[in-house]
Amino acid sequence: MMEPLQHISRRHFLRESAAGLGTIALGSLLGCGVPREQQSVAALTDPFAARPPHFPGRARRVIYLHMAGAPSQLELFDFKPELARLDNELCPPSLLDGKKFAFIRGVPRMLGPKAVFKQRGQSGAYISDHLPHFASVADDVAFLKGVYTDQFNHAPAQLYVHTGSPRLGRPSIGSWVTYGLGSENSNLPGFVVLTSGGKTPDAGKSIWGNGFLPSVYQGVQCRSEGDPVLFLSDPEGMDRETKKKMIDAINGVNRVHHADAGDPETLTRIAQYEMAYQMQITVPEVMNINNEPEHIHKLYGTTPGESSFANNCLLARKLVEKDVRFVQLFDWGWDSHGTDESLAIDIGFRNKCREIDRAMTALILDLKQRGLLDETLVVWGGEFGRTPMQENRENKNNPFLGRDHHVEAFTMWMAGAGIKGGTTWGETDEIGYYPVNGKVSLHDVQATILHQLGLDHEKLTYHFQGRPFRLTDVSGKPISEILI
Amino acid sequence: MERQSRTSRLTIFAAVLGVTAILLVSCGEAKVDFNADVKPILNKRCISCHGGVKRNGNFSLLFRHEALDTTESGKPAIIPFNAAHSEMIRRLTLKDPEERMPYKEESLSEHEIDILRRWIDQGAEWGKHWAYVPVKSVDVPLTIMAAQSGSPPDAHFAQNEIDHFVLSKLAESQLAPSPPATKATLMRRVYLDLTGLPPTPEQAAKFLDNNHPDAYTQLVDTLLASPHFGEKWASWWLDLARYSDTKGYERDVGRNIWRYRDWVINAINDDMPFDQFTIEQLAGDLLPNPTDDQLIATAFHRNTMNNDEGGTEDEEFRVAALLDRVNTTWEVWQSTTMGCVQCHSHPYDPFVHKDYFRSLAFFNNTRDEDTHGEHPKLRVYDDQATAKVRAIRDWVKNIEGEREASAVTQFLKTLEPKYHPHDFDEFDNGELIDTKWLGVRHNGSARLKQINLTNKDYVLFPYLAFREGGILEIRADRRNGPLLARQALPATSGWKRKMLRVNLAKTEGVRDLYFLFRNPALNPGEVVADIEWFAFRREIPGKQFPGYQKVENDFAALLDLGVEGTPVMIENTPEQFRKTHIFERGNWLVRGEEVTPGVPEILNPFNGRYTPNRLGYAQWLVSPENPLTSRTVVNRIWEQLFGNGIVETLEDFGTQGAIPSHQELLDWLSHRLMHDHRWSLKLLIRDIVLSGTYRQDSKVRPDHLEKDPWNRLLARSPRIRLTAEQVRDQALAVSGLLSKKMYGKPVMPYQPQGIWNSVWSGEYWELSKDEDQYRRSLYTYSKRTSPYPAFMMFDGSTREVCVSRRIRTNTPLQALVTLNDSSHVIAARTLASVCTTTETTTPRQRINAMYKRILYTDMKPEKLAIMEELYSQALMSFKNANLAAQKYLARDTATPDNAALVVVAQALLNLDEVLNKE
Repeated sequence: MMEPLQHISRRHFLRESAAGLGTIALGSLLGCGVPREQQSVAALTDPFAARPPHFPGRARRVIYLHMAGAPSQLELFDFKPELARLDNELCPPSLLDGKKFAFIRGVPRMLGPKAVFKQRGQSGAYISDHLPHFASVADDVAFLKGVYTDQFNHAPAQLYVHTGSPRLGRPSIGSWVTYGLGSENSNLPGFVVLTSGGKTPDAGKSIWGNGFLPSVYQGVQCRSEGDPVLFLSDPEGMDRETKKKMIDAINGVNRVHHADAGDPETLTRIAQYEMAYQMQITVPEVMNINNEPEHIHKLYGTTPGESSFANNCLLARKLVEKDVRFVQLFDWGWDSHGTDESLAIDIGFRNKCREIDRAMTALILDLKQRGLLDETLVVWGGEFGRTPMQENRENKNNPFLGRDHHVEAFTMWMAGAGIKGGTTWGETDEIGYYPVNGKVSLHDVQATILHQLGLDHEKLTYHFQGRPFRLTDVSGKPISEILI
Repeated sequence: MERQSRTSRLTIFAAVLGVTAILLVSCGEAKVDFNADVKPILNKRCISCHGGVKRNGNFSLLFRHEALDTTESGKPAIIPFNAAHSEMIRRLTLKDPEERMPYKEESLSEHEIDILRRWIDQGAEWGKHWAYVPVKSVDVPLTIMAAQSGSPPDAHFAQNEIDHFVLSKLAESQLAPSPPATKATLMRRVYLDLTGLPPTPEQAAKFLDNNHPDAYTQLVDTLLASPHFGEKWASWWLDLARYSDTKGYERDVGRNIWRYRDWVINAINDDMPFDQFTIEQLAGDLLPNPTDDQLIATAFHRNTMNNDEGGTEDEEFRVAALLDRVNTTWEVWQSTTMGCVQCHSHPYDPFVHKDYFRSLAFFNNTRDEDTHGEHPKLRVYDDQATAKVRAIRDWVKNIEGEREASAVTQFLKTLEPKYHPHDFDEFDNGELIDTKWLGVRHNGSARLKQINLTNKDYVLFPYLAFREGGILEIRADRRNGPLLARQALPATSGWKRKMLRVNLAKTEGVRDLYFLFRNPALNPGEVVADIEWFAFRREIPGKQFPGYQKVENDFAALLDLGVEGTPVMIENTPEQFRKTHIFERGNWLVRGEEVTPGVPEILNPFNGRYTPNRLGYAQWLVSPENPLTSRTVVNRIWEQLFGNGIVETLEDFGTQGAIPSHQELLDWLSHRLMHDHRWSLKLLIRDIVLSGTYRQDSKVRPDHLEKDPWNRLLARSPRIRLTAEQVRDQALAVSGLLSKKMYGKPVMPYQPQGIWNSVWSGEYWELSKDEDQYRRSLYTYSKRTSPYPAFMMFDGSTREVCVSRRIRTNTPLQALVTLNDSSHVIAARTLASVCTTTETTTPRQRINAMYKRILYTDMKPEKLAIMEELYSQALMSFKNANLAAQKYLARDTATPDNAALVVVAQALLNLDEVLNKE
């Protein structure tokens, strides 16, 4: 715990230093701006130096699991027996008037839950049979059942979740966090992205982009095929020893040159080349799951060498263990429209659930047994929900059962780092259409994540195009109901 | 000539006396300066609660008339000439924390309160912010120069007027300029700055051996005339234009818009005056009889993103593009953050909410509507087809005159005006296929509202039909209203749409049209036809004349030609005119007051000289009375050359932006650009690179770090890391791999496998062949959601939105690119190989030859020794490792010596002095 005095002076520092964080980081990167007293030029040039939060936070790092395509809350967590009763009834006009849907046209039919629900754990939270393993950790997670958005297309909706704005061009949450807090491990990137499901999410690499923040804060995609980080491997035929000698020689000449040219940036470059060499050793180590014991593989359901959500969950644990600040997982394939078998709510969707159930449960259990869950925030969700109606694309029945995009209400969950396990906040009406209480916005969710990290979402700003920008735009507040 | 003599006179003056100090004349008890002293206090301490967004207590400090107005308490807060009775001063000085301002914040300092008090007592005058004051001619500072014994380093510093502005600022901080850079350093710098490429060994030798006093000026003039000049400066402009080869958002598929990139290169190489450059890009289509080039220029604002995701509403993303156009125009030409005014009045600057929509009204009437086909596009015809277009044009002109001839030409070139399926409603057994194309099933229908049929003879549309037997009926007013047409829809083959012409019964006036489709042979789910757009046309006139049939045949044949197209701007017809409304709180669905085109009051008036459309707006922007355009472009060019703008915030000249480091110089250059140089950017750039300021050495001295660590005052030349494009281009150039081929479709040089994984897109990265692998980076395919990775690591732009300045970073991932990316390894191999000649027999000579090829000077012995040592170590390890050399060089005949030299070549390409412009 920080001393109160320190605490105040840090806040003071962040609030009062000209334009706060912005000036410092920018100044150092641009090699311009207003130099602050008592800060040597060299000290300003490390954008990843660990920085104190605004106030003591519960989380030191975040693992964010995004199910790209948007999973159905109605088959997983938001149990609606009334909807089962209404199955196949024509949708009443009151639910359609003035509404826009991505694909539903005319009057669709209601679609009852295609899953069996049970109450789980002490808390009695409803979790469907699609997630039998996850049911065992019900008391560790807090559910948000009244999350809403205003974007019913994937790319804008994903951008909204991760950048606070549905349009391209804003920094992602991981970029904001590493900009705000820096990194505690200089041998690994501060913000790592892992994808599974065979595709990049709909909004592309922009959802882990740095937007207008300096590009050092962009998410670094770690890959299970090819180089784990782009350009990490030495050229073929070059051994480690020669590479080391090469970097030493580059830095040696740079030191001589610095004596002549006197530019502090040269010293930074020397440090970055050292760090690059270290990363070449550290990243392959941490990205290699071969040496994990058998019981861990069993726990997660991992197979080394595969590109899977399970492998990514295990990697996420390894990365946070090494103090990577923000680990973002994207799993593609959750867009259950019913347009083909893999996207059928009663077929493909079940299979996707099987792919994640064991692994995401294992992640919580594994973090817990290592004492990491207390300081690691785990977040799970999609970019919107699914309609209680059956999709009727182009005003005719889809070949399989499916649900359209739904913006009014969907479910997310959080666990770890100061989250009150076994709670549910928010409730939807009897068919899961609107929240009836505990309605929270995506900006509220983002404010909560930042809050757990000790960052005030209204103060984490960056000056761009003449005004301070923040992740949560002009709204949002932390959801205190799910916090310890 | 006159200028030159003046310059040389000043130069001699400076040379004789030595410019080391300037005595500043202080001018008595000055009036409080609103901009310098008062506005910063108001902005920092007051305006967030009493400004454009919030006006607590009904008190706003944004405009003078607001500040002097009666507040909620019933009396004004500021009484000019009477600070003692002004509520504002009273509230600032109270003790009670509930009453004292700023509320719940630290109080203002005595000094700050004193400034405000004196300001009110002097009349509380509002000064105009510097950026909104028209650009006037500025005198080159007449400085009083003190002679100093010895030979001061700045004795030969001043080369032109620019240097006197710089010197006078340096003197204020007691800094002296730096000596000139060495010839080799200056040469590399000016090559990189003007052409983006380092000199070839031959070019370098030519300059270094030229001892003529004007050698440098001659070099500058040669470089300004080089075709690579346009390529380098196009890179700059394309960031502002957010140019990209894909559409953005989910599917992010390709967009064919590279002709715009080539237009920019040519316009810059031709030194198209910046006013014309502006007008053609913003409104080329509205010029009389626009050329194809002028239409392609308008693709500037077609670089906005386009959303193809299934289920998206075109109007939502048309509006998104529109907002982007407003924001981009204001940022690029006016350094003004108009985005702030989208939701509310500007918090700091004199722009009101309505101003945003008045700007938007200029742009709101173009034909592009976020359609999948990206209409309108300029169709690219070959010479033969172009001749036909001309013949048809002449035919129509002879019969009907210019107006109709222009309309027919526009249709042949851009297929406008037309209507899109998203204009339909009242669907019955039909829908938009993937929310894009009209698809109606058997016995279904859809309505197209409010079509003016006066003088329309037929409707034309491209369609697909997979089965024979389809029938289309068009009826007016109702589903069973008067029949205007009945037409069979023959099956089409493959995925090529066929153009179909359907004659309409003679009808007058504006009518609702019902399109009814039938084909009993279809399965219930199948559509009768899939239609992309509809155009209502008049017959080509002159039926009575011989040769008509050929004209008509040519017309139809041209329309059916499958030609590529470049997205361009075309204005709406009067029938398609869109009204513009304020969006309440920035929400496009909540429409407020209707507005007409107009500009903010603080700027030069948009008076009767200008037509209220894009053309008038573009002319208004480049009028010499506009205070922002010339300053903006000068500042941007200055930043390209010095790494920082005179106003550091390139994107913001408002009161929250940075204060200019050399305001008079900025004004002097701006005035000169408009009036002496007639908007020639080449002449502006020439002035700057010929200045002594530009020619200085970049060595950082201890007193620099102490007095001016960020080099705002330019006591030295900046040291700047090369741009993403330059890092790659330099490696290719010095190794001799670089292709100098210009223009054309974007290329796909090597990038690691598996980078592109966009959803719903069949597109993939197809490695370019032969020299196309080694084209300048400018030509590399730019995909918004999956940019070229090596560029992104060096702070390249994704081109999602307009980027005024790239923020330079220094990271380990950059080191990984230049150390490991196979493009850089290949460049190193080639560099080592070209420096292994019979003239260079020892490793030492070869290393020096490589260094010299990159930096044009011999390597210092101390540095050379380090590289020689690396060579020996690498040689040893290649000797000990079987086949390693062959693998590293990807060549069976490679020896350990060859490989060791490539290791050194790689090391050299990674040196700080190589990655920087010094």
